[in-house]
Formats: sequence, C-alpha cells, structure tokens
Amino acid sequence: MPDAKAVDAETYGLIQRFAYRETALLDRRQYREWLSLLTDDITYRVVAQTTRDAADDAVDYAIIDEDAAGLRLRVDQIATPRLTHAENPPSLTRRFVSNLIVSAGSDPSEFLVEANFLVYRNRSGVPDGGLYAGERTDVVRRVNGDLRLARRLVRLDQTVLYGGPVSILF
Amino acid sequence: MPDQSFAPLQEHWINVERGEVSREVFISDRIHHLEMERIFDRTWVFLAHESELPNAGDYVARMLGSAPVIITRDGEGAIHAVLNSCRHRGTKLCRADSGNVRHFVCPYHGWSYERNGKLITTAFDRHFPADTDFTQLGLIRVPRLESYKGLIFGCWNPDVGALPHYIGDFRWYLDAFFARTPKGMEVLAPPHRLRTKANWKLGALNFIGDSQHVLTTHVGPTTLDPLRSAQAGLFTPGKDSVQLITDEGHGCTLTYFNEGLPETVTRSHPQDLERLYAQVLEAGQCALLHRLRVAVGNVFPNFSFIEAIVGPAQRAIIIRLWQPVSGTEMEILSWVLAEREADAEYKARALKIGARTFGIAGVFEQDDLTIWASATTAGDNRIARQYAYGFQTSLPYRNEPLTDYDGPGRAFRPVTTEVVQFEYMRHWDRVMRSNA
Repeated sequence: MPDAKAVDAETYGLIQRFAYRETALLDRRQYREWLSLLTDDITYRVVAQTTRDAADDAVDYAIIDEDAAGLRLRVDQIATPRLTHAENPPSLTRRFVSNLIVSAGSDPSEFLVEANFLVYRNRSGVPDGGLYAGERTDVVRRVNGDLRLARRLVRLDQTVLYGGPVSILF
Repeated sequence: MPDQSFAPLQEHWINVERGEVSREVFISDRIHHLEMERIFDRTWVFLAHESELPNAGDYVARMLGSAPVIITRDGEGAIHAVLNSCRHRGTKLCRADSGNVRHFVCPYHGWSYERNGKLITTAFDRHFPADTDFTQLGLIRVPRLESYKGLIFGCWNPDVGALPHYIGDFRWYLDAFFARTPKGMEVLAPPHRLRTKANWKLGALNFIGDSQHVLTTHVGPTTLDPLRSAQAGLFTPGKDSVQLITDEGHGCTLTYFNEGLPETVTRSHPQDLERLYAQVLEAGQCALLHRLRVAVGNVFPNFSFIEAIVGPAQRAIIIRLWQPVSGTEMEILSWVLAEREADAEYKARALKIGARTFGIAGVFEQDDLTIWASATTAGDNRIARQYAYGFQTSLPYRNEPLTDYDGPGRAFRPVTTEVVQFEYMRHWDRVMRSNA
C-alpha cells in the first residue's frame, strides 16, 4: 500500500546512513561526537513497560528523561574515567538497528524515523543487563543542510530491568 | 589468617567489640531464608502508596516477603491485600502489575472473588458437599494491613503490634517527608524496577546513613553538579548534621546546609509549599526541612527514602524498596513523590530530575549499584566469606549519643561515622534472634 508520508529512496538512504553513524558513535563510546549530532532542543526519553491486561491501556515509566543539558551531564560522567564507576571499566556494547521506517515529519525539515533495536551489553566479563530490545521513535531534522537528532523515544521491551544499572545510552 | 571468630556463623553474626558483621550476612542463601521467616513474615513491610490506588477497583501486584499479593481498593474506599493465588488450585489471579477490577476471576476454573477476597462463586458450588462453608474459601487475606499517612504496610503476622506503634518515634521524621502538607504526598509514576545481584541490606545500610561513600562512590555527580559549581561549600555538611536511630531500628541521616551559604542557595523548597508545611508540622520539623540539603532514611527492614535538593527551589523525594530475592540478589522498586498541592511543572521536574539522579538509570544509582554488585561478587566465595565487613568507625561513637539533641531517636555526630549503620545491623541481629 503506498504511503503518502513515505520518503524517496535517496532520502531513506541518507537517514539510514545517519542512523548507522550515530549508533556507531555510541558503540565506540564517542559520546561527545554523538552529542554533536543532537539538536539543542532535543528531548530524549527511555521508557520501560509495566505488565498490563491486554484490554487495558499500556502504562510505562521513564528511566531516562533528558534535555540537551541533562544528556551532556550524563556524558560528562560516563565519558570521564575518574568520574564513573559504572562505566569504568566501560561496558562493551553492540547496537543493532533495523526495520527502519522513514516518513515525512510534521515540519518540512523533519523526518519521523522508527526502528527496532537490540543492544548487547557485556560488563566485567558477563552479559550485564544482557540484551536490551525495543523500538525507538526519532525525529531527525535538517539543520543547515546536516541531519540532527531532535527527538528520541526509546521503548524497552522490559518491565523489570535486569543486571547492571542502565549506565549506557540508546 | 582467616578470622575464625564467625564460626559457627549463626551464633556470631555480629562482633560488637570489633564493630564487624559477618560477610555471610550479606551473601548466604541460608540467612536469606531465615530472614524471610524471621523478619519478612513477622514484621511490617511496605507494600504501596495509597495514591497508587486512586479509584475503586484499582490494584497493584507486589511482594509481601516471599509471597505475591494484590493490594486493591474496594467500592467503599477501603484498601485490602490478599494473596495473589487462587484458593482452589493456586493460579495467579492478577498477572498484571496494576489495573482495575470489578472482581477477581480465576482464569483456570472460574472461581471468583470480591475485591476484599470474599468468595463469590466456585462456578460449581452445586457439586460441593452440602455442608461446605463457602465463607472459608475466600482468598487468603494479609492478616494485618494498615496505612500510615498514605504509606501502606502489610504483615503476615496477625499478632504484630499496630503500625503506628511499630514506626514509633520515627513518625516524627516520616511525617516531615510524607505528611507535611494538608493533602499529603502522591506517587508521580509507576515504580522503577531493577533486579540486581546484591544483598538487599546493602541498600538499607546505604540509605540509613552512609555519609562516607558520597564523595568517592558519587565523585561523578557531585563533581559535575551544576549547583556545586555555582556555590563553593555546597557539599560540605553543616556541623549540626546528624544521624540517628530509634529503638524500633528505624533511622535517618539529616545533612544540613553548611553555615554561611546565601539564602538564594539554601531556599530549596518552593515557598508556597513551605507555607503549607507550617500548617501541618511542628516548628522543629519545619526547621529540619528548611535547612535540609539531603535526608536519607530507612524504616526497618527495607523501606528507604531520600529527599534531595535537585535544583533551585526543586526537591525530589524518592521511596526505595529493597525486595530480597536471594542472599545475593534483590529487586529494587523506586518511586518519585511530590506534594499533592505542588503545581504540575514542579511535579514534572521532580519526576524528571528524580529519574536523572536516583532512578535505576540515575547518575547516583548507577555507581551505587555497580559497587554493591561488585561487593557481592567478590564476597561470594569460601575465602572472602571468612572476613567480616567492617564498621569500625562506629566504635568510638556508639556509646556517645548526643545529649542536647531535641528530636526523637539516639542521635550522633558527625554524620561521617558508621554508628547508625552498625546499630541497624545490631537491630537486625536482635530481630533475627528474638524471632528464632
């Protein structure tokens, strides 16, 4: 079924390349470079679920709910060896982003980008936190010809988190 | 040389003269099972906050000790707690974490129950013996359920003393954090939940009064805190900061602002809320809150709380429950609360900054949790278990409670000793022995 909001193949390719590049920076813990891909007005939320009856509305809870300043604070902590225990030694992580759907956004300069993700995390020699799976719903914006992440909502497919504390970004 | 003074362990969990606690107490599954029998089946345990059940039929599913329970509100507004297991063949009645029910219907054979646990029908009542007393086939009710200022506690022991008596003198402090405005507090979101490889008492000890860990464990957030860079001396505890513990084993550490800081920095409660505190609290409690930088506390056994300044005129209050899973594992539940009278923006900020600081992904919690798990991993072996945990800095202070302190409890200064942590463990030891 044709989707009026779908973007052309060239745009899709640009967005996909942006998503892979941005994700690779997180895997490589190049957090400050990652921050440079965000807009100043970014909203960034990571939510976990609660178990609910199928007939009831979903209820989630935000474990991370940040603006740009909050993200910088988190990055300053986990990217500075003397300021973190949770990420020193650092978690080994590998992020897999797939099932990418790109649509035109509400503003002509914006795209709505939906994707599935899987994050593998290994810390202190054991899968600590194991696998984080979920979906992310992003708004990617063109700013002076470059793509920037303007919004991210990460929905984890977990109700109870396991293992180590969540000291990584998604 | 291995320290032999803790063998046999069940007789020497605590060495008072040396200020030591056997590491087994923080590792052993056998002690975990004893704790479930002697503490969690016998004393009051926190279950939920009343604001989680605003409407008739609302329920939350929680653990009371080792058993799953449902806490629900009936049509008359009364709160009930029942074992989440059908009287017939044991099926879980509520498999969701929260929801709203008219009555509970077992998905297996259709037994149905009222919200207070009373049996409505087995669906096959006609096939039961003629003399069956169906009133005896309701859900198992938690025998004791009481609220204190919105905090719902349950107890499996029908003979336990009343909850206000159990909380005892510590009510004076709980009121200052959970009942300080006419309408009281409300929970702002479902609890964060994290299952982690650490003994539950590490959390309780950390919250009752571990002022020694703040600047090492939390070097990140305390270094980076924008409030700190704006104000020198913000993280130096005021000299009147105090740690205390009551006879019932509940305790807290109240860290006040250092002398000489400008009022623009120390005025961390919104003024409209402070005016409400004055309507409900005593002058002493108002003074406590007025100069407070951070409070941590614990109601025995596993209900902790923290109130911290998290921004100009912005506070976050967190309830933390350390739910034992085994000797080396717990589930953490963490709620953010605010005064019901606070405006929507204040509550939104409290929730957001509460998650940033003390949520399960919070900048403080990530380092605590990492360290507790590493202490558990490093201790869970035959060699390390022989060496006690040290609370030596309690020793010079534990017989020197303040004589000029006005509030309830035995109070100690400075806050940077382990005296209240060690007294908590001594209380744990007394409860474990007296309920044997």
